[in-house]
Order: sequence, then C-alpha cells, then structure tokens
Amino acid sequence: MDISSWDGTISLAEFHAAACALVEKWKKVSSASPPWSWVSCPKQPWVASHEVSVEGYLSLENIILVSIKEEHDELPSFPQKEETSCSDKEESIDIATLVQGQSDHDEICYYDLHIVYSAPYRVPVLYFRVYYSDGEPLQFEDIKKHLPAHSAKTLLDSKWTFITQEEHPYLNRPWYKLHPCGTGEWMKLLFQGDVSLARNGAAIEVYLISWLSFVGQVVGLRIPYEMLNQL
Amino acid sequence: MAGHDSGSILVFAQFQSAVDEGFWHRLSSLKLNKLGIDESPIPITGYYAPCSHPQVSNHLTLLAQSLPSESNEQSSAAAMSRGNRNRCPIRGTLYNTNTIESFHKLDKKSLLRVEAKKIWDDIHTGRAVEDSALLSRFLLISFADLKKWNFHYWFAFPVLVLDPPATLVDLMPASQYFSLEEAESVSAACNEWRNSSLTADVPFFLVSTDPNSHATVKHLKDWETCQSDGHKLLFGFYDPCHLPHNPGWPLRNYLALICVRWNLKSVRFLCYRESRGFADLGSSLVGEALITVPQGWRDHQSLPNAVGWEHNKGRQVPRSISLAKSMDPTRLAISAADLNLKLMRWRALPSLNLNAMSSIKCLLLGAGTLGCQVARMLMAWGVRKITLLDNGRVAMSNPLRQSLYTLDDCLNGGEFKATAAVKSLTRIFPAVDAEGVVMAIPMPGHPVSSQEEDSVLEDCRRLHDLIDSHEAVFLLTDTRESRWLPTLLCANTNKITITAALGFDSFLVMRHGAGPFVSSHDFNVEAANALSAVENIAQADKDERQRLGCYFCNDVVAPIDSTANRTLDQQCTVTRPGLAPIASALAVELLVGILHHPLGIYAEGEVANSLTSESSERPLGVLPHQIRGSLSQFSQMALVGHSSNSCTACCSTVVSEYRERGMEFIIQAINHPTYLEDLTGLTELMRSASAFKLDWDNETDLDEDDYVDI
Repeated sequence: MDISSWDGTISLAEFHAAACALVEKWKKVSSASPPWSWVSCPKQPWVASHEVSVEGYLSLENIILVSIKEEHDELPSFPQKEETSCSDKEESIDIATLVQGQSDHDEICYYDLHIVYSAPYRVPVLYFRVYYSDGEPLQFEDIKKHLPAHSAKTLLDSKWTFITQEEHPYLNRPWYKLHPCGTGEWMKLLFQGDVSLARNGAAIEVYLISWLSFVGQVVGLRIPYEMLNQL
Repeated sequence: MAGHDSGSILVFAQFQSAVDEGFWHRLSSLKLNKLGIDESPIPITGYYAPCSHPQVSNHLTLLAQSLPSESNEQSSAAAMSRGNRNRCPIRGTLYNTNTIESFHKLDKKSLLRVEAKKIWDDIHTGRAVEDSALLSRFLLISFADLKKWNFHYWFAFPVLVLDPPATLVDLMPASQYFSLEEAESVSAACNEWRNSSLTADVPFFLVSTDPNSHATVKHLKDWETCQSDGHKLLFGFYDPCHLPHNPGWPLRNYLALICVRWNLKSVRFLCYRESRGFADLGSSLVGEALITVPQGWRDHQSLPNAVGWEHNKGRQVPRSISLAKSMDPTRLAISAADLNLKLMRWRALPSLNLNAMSSIKCLLLGAGTLGCQVARMLMAWGVRKITLLDNGRVAMSNPLRQSLYTLDDCLNGGEFKATAAVKSLTRIFPAVDAEGVVMAIPMPGHPVSSQEEDSVLEDCRRLHDLIDSHEAVFLLTDTRESRWLPTLLCANTNKITITAALGFDSFLVMRHGAGPFVSSHDFNVEAANALSAVENIAQADKDERQRLGCYFCNDVVAPIDSTANRTLDQQCTVTRPGLAPIASALAVELLVGILHHPLGIYAEGEVANSLTSESSERPLGVLPHQIRGSLSQFSQMALVGHSSNSCTACCSTVVSEYRERGMEFIIQAINHPTYLEDLTGLTELMRSASAFKLDWDNETDLDEDDYVDI
C-alpha cells in the first residue's frame, strides 16, 4: 500500500480481514484480557452487496469499570416514590442470607465496546456504552468521571475525538460513538509517521490494531503491548 | 432440639440480577406487538457464569434473547438457547403486569412458593439431578410503563430454607485445601469441563479425587458410582459470588438436593470461581457444611419455607429503571437534532452560538409560502420557539407551495393556517415550542367602520403584545400595507425585524435597522424601552452612525390599499415557485448572521466581498442589509439603504407620534391614508420633487407592482 497516496481509509472487505486478524492476535497474545469476538450480522436485503457475509462488527462486552470511591448520587433521576414498602412481613428475615452493604453495587459499571465499519467514511468507528448492573445507562458526563485520568484528558484535549450519541447501526439503540470524521486523516498521519508501518506490506492487519491503540486510550482500554510489537 | 454448637451458621450471598437494556426493549416490543393485555406468565432464560473478578460478583443476567421471540413458531416450553461457558442458561418465569397497582398487588409470597414448589418437585422427582440448572430457577415480576419508558421490576431467587440452618465447619480457599498435586489436577479437570461445549454450561458437578491425587469432574447423576468408588468427593458448583467468606446462592438449593436425595448430613462443597478464563483455586472456596435434615423434608408433599426476593440496597423493595433517554422517540429526535448542530460547530464553525438560537423567540407574521419555509429553516437552525400569525385558512392550492400543509388541512373549508402550521411543526419535531395566532393585521388604507373599530384596536394591542414578547419578527405577509404596523411596532421596541417580499421573479430580503430612539451603544432591548422618548428625540438627527432603513424607508408614498384595482393575476399568488424557498432561506440566514454579529441589530450593512480577511469573530461571513435577487438573471445583490427621516413607518416623527397618542394615532393612519404622508412631510417632499428634476433611478425597478407578493 502506497502510503503517500493513501487517504487513510479502508474498504469493508479490508475491515473484515483486519478484524479477523485482530481477534486472532488478541487471543494469542493476551488470554488474560477478555477476548474480542466478531458478531456477524445478516445482510440487509436492500443493500447491494457482492461481498460474502463480511457484515458485522467486533464486540468486547461486559468489561467491568470499578470506580474509585466517589460521591455517588442517587442513581436514576426518575423519582422513586411509593415503593409500597413491603406489606408487613413479605418475607421473614432469613438468617442465612448475607445482608450486603448498600454502596457496594452502585459504583460498579460495565462497558461494551463495538467496532463497526462506517461505509460513508470508510473507516472503523468505535461505539461504546456504559451502564450500571441494573442496565441503567450512564450519561456522558458520568462516563467521563469513570474514565482513567489520562483518558479523560486525551478526550478533552484532542481535536480528533468527538463523542456523539447515535443509533447503533445493528442494535438500533443509542450508543455513544467516537465520530469518524477525523479518522481517515489521523490514520494517514499515524502511518506516515511510523517508518516501520509505512514500509510494512501487511498494513491492513495492522490498521485496526493501530487504530485501536489510539482510540482505545479515549475509553481507557489498554492494548497489550505485545499486540503492537508484532507488526 | 439437639442443636449443633460447633460452627457458625452458613451465610450465603444473594444472587444479584443484571438486566441489559435490550431485555426491556424486547419486552416493550413483545407487549406492544404480541401480548397486549395478556398477563399470563412468560418463560424466560437468565444467564450466569462463575465469578471471574476478585471484586465483582457475577450476576444473573437478562438479555434481549432471554425473552421468547415474537414469531409464533416458538414452542411453548421455553426453548432454552444452548448456552456457552459464559452463559449458563437458567430457567425463569416472568409475570408482567398491566398497571403499577397490579404490580404492587401481586401476591409475592405465593408466587415465590409456586417457583419454590417447582424446585422442590424437581428435587424429589430427580429431574434436578439430570438437569441441575433447574436448581437455580428464578422469578421476575415487572411492570413496563410504555408511555414514560419506566420499568419496575423485582427478582426472586427462590431457595428452600433449612430449619435449623446449615452450619459451617470450615471454609477456606481451595488452594489451601488441596495438596499441590491435587490442585493441579482439579484445575485441569475443571478447565476441561469448562472448555467442552457439552458441559461448559452445566453449573453443578462432582469432583472426585482418587488416592493418586488425580481428579475428575462428573455429572451429578454419576453420584452413585462415585460413592461406590470411595474416592474423595466434592460437590462443586459455579459460584457467582466473589466474597472470600461466603458461598454464593446456588449452594442453598444444592444442599437441599443433596440432603433429600442422598441423605448426607455433612457436605464438602467447592465454590468454583475463575480468573481470566481459567479455574482459580485461590479465589475458589472449599468448605464443609453440616445439615440437620428437617423432619418434613422426607415428605414430597410438604413444601418447606422459601425465601429469595432480591434485596435492593439492603431493603426488600422492587427496583425501577428509566430508559426514557434511550427509548423515547422525542428525546431521541432532540438529541439527534442537537448532534447535527454540534457537528456543525465542531467541524466548521467553532464560534457558532447554538444557545442563542435555541433561546430566541421568533414571531412570524404570515404562515403562507414564506412563513412555512421560514419556520422550517428556523427549526433546522435549532430555533425552538416559534409563533405564527395568520388569519387565513388553508386553501386547496396551498399545499403545493406552502410546505407545512397537506391535503388534509384543506378539507372542510380548510383549517386555520396558524393552527395547521403549529401541528405540522410539532409533527416534524415534537420538541418545538410552536404557537399559532389567528388574527388579521390592521392595515392603513383599509378604513374601518366605527363598529369594527373596537376589534381593530384589540388586534392592534394584541399585535403590540406579541411583538413585545418576541425577540425577532419576520414580516412575511402578502401585502405592503400589512407590513406597516408591525414595522412601526418593531421600530418602537427595537426588535430584530426581517422582511421578505416577492415579485414575480424577484425578491427582497432585508433586515430593518434599529429603531430611532435608542442610543447606538445600548444593546439592551428592555433598557431601550425604558428610555423616555422626549430625551432622545433629537438623537436620531445628531447620530453620526445613521441607522439602516426599514422596508418603507425607500418609499415615496405611504402604504395604501394595494389590493384594489388590480387584475386577478396580480392579486393572486403569481411568483416563480423557486423564489419563496430562496427568500425564506436567506431571511433565516440573515437572522443567524445578526445573532452572531457583535453589534447585533446595530450592525452596519455590508456588501458582498467586503470582509478582507477570515475573521474568527465573523464566523458566518458578511452581514448585508438588503439582498435583492432576480431569478431571471440568477443573480443576487447585497445593498445598503439608510433610514429616511420621512419614513412613514420608522422615522422619529412617526414613532414619537405613536408613543404619544397610541391607538388613536393608529386608527387615524388606518382610516386616512394621506395622514402619514402629511405627518412625515412626504407630501411636501413630493411637491418639491416635481419642481426639481431629482433622480430616483435607484428606485425605478421597484415600483408598486413588484411588491405584489404572497
């Protein structure tokens, strides 16, 4: 791939190839971290496609974010009125049941990451959502609070990162995503800047990993060092 | 009875629930499309896996696929999806109610007993040995408020209560309990069990260790064989709990099974937990429990006590979650609209002031071709507060050119335009704050009889109040004279005023200058109104920076009845259809320009190409005073016109007359068309003009007829 004339974008087939490469490498290199998996999606009949089932996305789910003790206000803005506090003796107190402290569960949240291909921009896009164990999604302001410190900084400072909330293309629910309009540009810069990348013929497999190494910082996802070394 | 004093009571950590958003989405959809008001119990599947994190317990999770699909090929018995190592499927029952009252009225005790009985039966019949996941059956009650997208719910994990409770002899990390060789062998055997697709989702098992420290993992049904072997036997189970001193909830029914079927009084158990996908004997626990089999338990018919309603922050109350933000279509529309504008700001115009747009109140006089388009453009820019004034009804020819109306609005005589427009705007964007006013604008040159006078005065007052309560006014009516009163009122209160007027193939879009009685450096509209007229009368003349003109400033005649004595096609809407959308779009862009100009309404008029360098203070470019365009030439010009001291609408004479005499003045102007000309001295001016041959060239292309518009 000639870096000088390349615009930093990839095709759907290339995305699929890069995704498979990432899944494999990840499994090999980092069995400790939860694995990425490819979720295949049935083709939408109205989309003309000559490609064979490359429709789908990469998924990494249920990652636990344990936040440091901080002020945690009552979860939902939705008022919890009249829980008809259980009528006398709904259940007799059972001494064999552990009564757990209330704060423990609240601060734990989970996040899901999906890497989806964007046809109009021809680049991968990171979709993510963060939620409490009862499924309640966190608002973006709260997500920022849970990110590791340097990620939050990257997010705010970088002119490449713009988080928006949009419909997930396959799940049809609002997810946060890192807007792709800058991606082509900085991918090109990334590849140009790294001599070994620029020379390397196997650029496609490396594309997604390089992309993830940058984008992952924004959401506090650590890419195992070995992944990057195997280029 | 002969109580055991040795050892403390075995205390279990409750199962914890986790519901993925997708579950509620699917339930909503099921309810709306299939179930309707049917309240019969629904079989569902929950999923869990052994604990894999030292600080966080694993949860019993519900996902979208926990619910049966909507299609009817679904078999009635819960077709449990085959699980995998991270998702052991557990059977559950959902009772979803139709009202919040019936939710709270559900007999929780008896529902729990029904589920507990199922477990009890499965234990006695031996089904639970074949399919051990049945031991962890659960119950869920819920109420889905599909108007507000709130979901109330409560989980129960029924367990049979041992009375007296089981006691703990010892409990320690598995790595402590096993010898090194045993530990290695047990780990290997467990990993094998976890990696085989046949057994990965079987949550209860036996660990049998032979004298050579070789361990094997077996199904529960192999218990008899293991017994006869005489090897060390451990009762293992996937433990969702992470705590170092307490086993997880599944152990409770497990002990019940063990003591009923196999009559053991002492049970060695293994709380199996993992780390990074492999058996972790450091966090896994091995313990020994002593059970006193309660008397009634031999008897299948007598169901023991059951507990298991999930605690909510330590209390026995249901939970609720609001998903309005992600499910309510209106909210989704709002955030999508905001996203669009934010993208614009982020990518192209960082100094875009979106707050100014969303807070400004716009009054549109006229809900016709221009009014409809202006309203739409305003919404596209993020304006949310729009008032439309029009006294007409939607006619059959309107929907083609007036973009807010459809055929339905024309039926039965036609809806009032103002009302239909508001409905249409709300359909397009539910969060718009739109209001419609059905009213005619009093016009000079259309004299009123004395009976009508009161209602005309009322209309004047109403118009005065409307203009007062908005920040920007668009004059989009179909006659010149209907623009007079609004222009005067706006000049009086110094409101941003934008006029759009159409000819057959030409248009004019302009912003009026500031009113005559406010000091140029006073940007506060309220303060402007508070200034006394007397104090500032002379200001206009002395003011170096001449204010820009209004629509009437270039006139030499006062507005008269332009509709009389005109041929039919001049009275009707005869303009090239492309004009209205162009003019409306420019009118709104002009407003946005004003809002972003540091001087606002006082900004000087600029012509095209007048900005020499990219200025970050001027993100939107030049701000013209007037734009005159011609479709026949496909051309457009930006012009500047200053105010006239003889203007019949905005000059200081007229405005101060209005301030002094109010409605009396208005009525006089309405009934006596030449009154305004006399007042402003236009009459005098005309007489002197005919005496000198003054050159009115720059006005010749703008005679009366060109102002026929929609």
